[in-house]
Amino acid sequence: MLSPFKATGTDAMSSSDNKPERTLADLGVTQPDQVVSLFAEVRARFDSQASRPLDHPSWEILRQSWLGRKSGALTLITENWLKAASPDLKRSVGQELNKLKAHLETTLDERKLDAQSLADHSVSIRERVDLSLPGVIRPIGSHHLIRQVFQEIEDIFFSIGFSVVEGPEIETPYYNFEALNIPEFHPVRDDMDTFYLDLPKGAKTPLLLRTHTSPMQIRTMEKQKPPVRVIVPGKVYRRDNPDATHSFAFHQIEGLAVDTDITFCDFTGTIEYFVKQFFGPSVKTRFRPSYFPFTEPSVEFDVSCPFCGGTGTASGGGTCSKCKGAAWIELFGAGMVDPAVYGFVNYDAKKTSGFAFGIGIDRLAMLKYGIDDIQVFFQNDVRFLRQFP
Amino acid sequence: MKVVYNWLKDFVDVAASPQELASRLALSGTNIGGVENGAHGAVIEAEVSSNRPDCLGHHGIAREAAAIYKLPLKHVSPKPVEGQAKAGDAVKVEIQSPELCGRFTARVMRNVKIQPSPKWLKDRLEASGVASISNVVDVSNYVMLELGHPLHTFDYDKVRDHKIVVRRAKPGEKMRTLDGIERQLDSNICMISDGDGSRAVGIGGIMGGGETEISFSTKNVLIECAWFEPVAIRRAARFLKLHTEASTRFGRGADPEMAEIASRRAAELILQLAGGELLAGVVDIYPGKRAAKTMRVTRAEILRVMGAEVPDKEVEASLGALGFAPVRIDQNRGAEGSLLAAWECTQPSWRADVEREIDLIEEIARIYGLHKFPPRLPAARQGAARLPHYEAETRLRERLIGLGYREILTIPHVAEERDALFRPEGITPARLSNPLSEEANVLRSTGTVTMAAALEWNLNHGQRNARLFEIGRHYRLNGSESFETRVLTIGATGEAREKGLYDSARDFSLADLKGDLDSIGELCGGFRWADGGAEWLHAARRGAVRLNTIISSEARNLSSLGVAGQLARRVAERLKLRQDVFLAELEIDAFYDTVRIAKNPRRYEPLPRFPSVERDFSVLLADGTKFSDVTKTIQSLGIGEIHSIEATDLFRGKSVPAGKYSLLVRVTFQSREATLTEAQINDFSGRIVGALGKQLGAQLRAQ
Repeated sequence: MLSPFKATGTDAMSSSDNKPERTLADLGVTQPDQVVSLFAEVRARFDSQASRPLDHPSWEILRQSWLGRKSGALTLITENWLKAASPDLKRSVGQELNKLKAHLETTLDERKLDAQSLADHSVSIRERVDLSLPGVIRPIGSHHLIRQVFQEIEDIFFSIGFSVVEGPEIETPYYNFEALNIPEFHPVRDDMDTFYLDLPKGAKTPLLLRTHTSPMQIRTMEKQKPPVRVIVPGKVYRRDNPDATHSFAFHQIEGLAVDTDITFCDFTGTIEYFVKQFFGPSVKTRFRPSYFPFTEPSVEFDVSCPFCGGTGTASGGGTCSKCKGAAWIELFGAGMVDPAVYGFVNYDAKKTSGFAFGIGIDRLAMLKYGIDDIQVFFQNDVRFLRQFP
Repeated sequence: MKVVYNWLKDFVDVAASPQELASRLALSGTNIGGVENGAHGAVIEAEVSSNRPDCLGHHGIAREAAAIYKLPLKHVSPKPVEGQAKAGDAVKVEIQSPELCGRFTARVMRNVKIQPSPKWLKDRLEASGVASISNVVDVSNYVMLELGHPLHTFDYDKVRDHKIVVRRAKPGEKMRTLDGIERQLDSNICMISDGDGSRAVGIGGIMGGGETEISFSTKNVLIECAWFEPVAIRRAARFLKLHTEASTRFGRGADPEMAEIASRRAAELILQLAGGELLAGVVDIYPGKRAAKTMRVTRAEILRVMGAEVPDKEVEASLGALGFAPVRIDQNRGAEGSLLAAWECTQPSWRADVEREIDLIEEIARIYGLHKFPPRLPAARQGAARLPHYEAETRLRERLIGLGYREILTIPHVAEERDALFRPEGITPARLSNPLSEEANVLRSTGTVTMAAALEWNLNHGQRNARLFEIGRHYRLNGSESFETRVLTIGATGEAREKGLYDSARDFSLADLKGDLDSIGELCGGFRWADGGAEWLHAARRGAVRLNTIISSEARNLSSLGVAGQLARRVAERLKLRQDVFLAELEIDAFYDTVRIAKNPRRYEPLPRFPSVERDFSVLLADGTKFSDVTKTIQSLGIGEIHSIEATDLFRGKSVPAGKYSLLVRVTFQSREATLTEAQINDFSGRIVGALGKQLGAQLRAQ
């Protein structure tokens, strides 16, 4: 039987000292103040035992010896002191007993938590999990990097009121060229080498693979009166021999905003907003006049190189490999919609204005993630796919 | 166009360094490829856009620099000394095709001395990347690089009858050009011919011929400086696949007024370098002469398009420097900054690209500086919409990724014979008329053909385990109409579970594919599987996937979505795939529609308050009896308390007689009204065993 008053460890004392086993009369307690000091003595003994470092088993021993139902100190006190107390002492014994009980329970609860944490610290090395070993990895897939960039850009433009639309990849020359103010034999057609479909004889119109997402400018405006604010993600095709920077299929996002009061300032503001969201607020932007048949004024849009902070010098010295020391990176072409285009969609060019842009996604992704070969996007090697979870 | 910095200074007195000048040019519309310091000073590589042929010469770039820095531009007015004899008596010119050739000037020089060019000329040509040949030939190149206008020099004595005839090419006509290639012509091509016009001596505006070429024995020179119709030149250059410095300039639109000036400049230089005598005057046939266009630009329109003011003096300075001679024509012309301000401008002969008000606005803006227009974000006027299938596609993608599939993107160009392996019968693929190679001559008619290629790539690169998906399109023709259909393609090979510390390896199987597809199907109210599938799939391990009819809309009921299964060995071997490959392709638009339709009617079903009870039935079934026969048989009993019927174990062999298999069926009972009693369960079980025995001949095995 466990008893806090029996000989255990350094607290050894004679069994004659085990006061709860004796009655109050036996102990010569007759006055209430003697009761109080007797309980104080018991409490001090508990406190001294409870103040020692405890692991879980020794905590359990402590608890049993004090609160154990059969022969714990508290049970003994109840039996020997309270029940056997003379009527004039019963009240003070009862009060003291309740106080002691509350103290024991509170202290033991606290010490249990301490014992637990001691236990956590002291499990054997053999039992301990080797956290450097892998857990059970359930195979998880991944978004393609191009898809991730699309999503990021779509979200930015969606947040400023651009709807998302899609269109056919197989187009007619009308939508891909003519309605965009690129008549046949226009020099710009030479820069967009085009795949044509082999159609049966007698086909009404030739079909081609769109060379840009811009045909959706026309298709959107045909369907909808201003205000128009759309972006068009999609695949486009140019008949270029594949190498590290060319693929005959690649990805673009077209943007178009047309209304009664859109100006060049709105255009540059929108583009700047996008770029600061995409590359971070510290990039600087610049617009260089350029030429596209379907925008006027047309611009090329540059950002200060986000990799060297627009200095042209790499952080470790030497020329920045991303901007090749130019401090600026050409991102994409854009401009105010050429009034000639409105003529093709029956908009009143005198009352309508707007802007359009076409962002090359593959190049942007290569730039942002340091990819030096566009072909990896289309090889779909799982070792590549894994790198962008 | 290589711009030699020192040459530029002949026309404009820029103080800016070459680097600084290059960056200012870039910011005002001349794209700059780079600046190099060579043996002959700085050379700026200008990438002139196709609408600016006027910048394909130093004088044109100098005009840009003069406008940017507000400096005077030196005009070109060569005054060569002319002799007594008249050019008009020495040469005749006839233009038979004025629609192709708008101007033809001819000057004649006698007794020139063909010799190497002096150093200064060689240096400038070399800096421009042009090889020096002889003084007369070099002069024509020099003048082209200086003034942007191509010229051609003939050996005058080799021109028959000293007569030039400009005409269309004749049917079947051929001609050997200076580069030694014999070229087949067509009647839209402008030919320079001599004598009676029967012999071609040059392709107008593109390249000369060998017969009349300048040589070191040439004594007398005929200088041609003409103007050709740009569209005709572009068409001809493309037809002939012959793109030259001349065709680039004429094709983009040369300055017809410059033709005579450039000719005079060439004569001046030849006199200086080769001596001889210049005949008086010029033979100038100019059927294409046009009156200068006028156009207006207003402050109101500048504001409407650009969104910010440009001061009067900046409008006038930029347009003036570029040659548009702006004149205020509004009522308020005394008032600075008037909102009513309007300018009338005259189109200079070198700027055919500027003919509208918007063109003038662009000119003003680019010289004034685009950075001076303050950026602002326009207010949104309406809500933005995602694609209609955005939510369905997002959930599909998330689910596939959760199931362990990696998204891929492929190029749809494939080899016809590969496409045919996966193409359903009766489908016409979209063939390209001008493929880059036979390996990429059709657009894929199925998603699986490129998915198989992606798996092949991985297997060939040591990646044995791959689970991939693609959301893309396949392309088909119906007659001369094209159809693009959105498809989900899934491909898997290798291990479904790789060997690790805690698990053993397990190969991917058809059951994995089916389970994964059914997990997707959950989004749209479930898929139904039917026998069948495509020919390219393994005959015993394939199926057709359909939408669950209960959920799908009337329009798409019973809609077949696609096929799934293991790739047939025959095809796998053709593709040299040495391990089992599983593929599925679903037409995804119907799926997206159904995801939307299935979502809204979903209602909460209160959770049962009473415990469910499971009973396992181990039955022997004849081969060929399907699990669906078992479930149908049990369901036909109409026991409302049956909550689910699952197959939990299946095996053959050992104690199971041949021709049979053992199936462990777990039936879960659940009542919404009360806790089921032992007696009820026993009653249900008895009926189930009875029905399975009676209808399917199933024998209950000892439990």
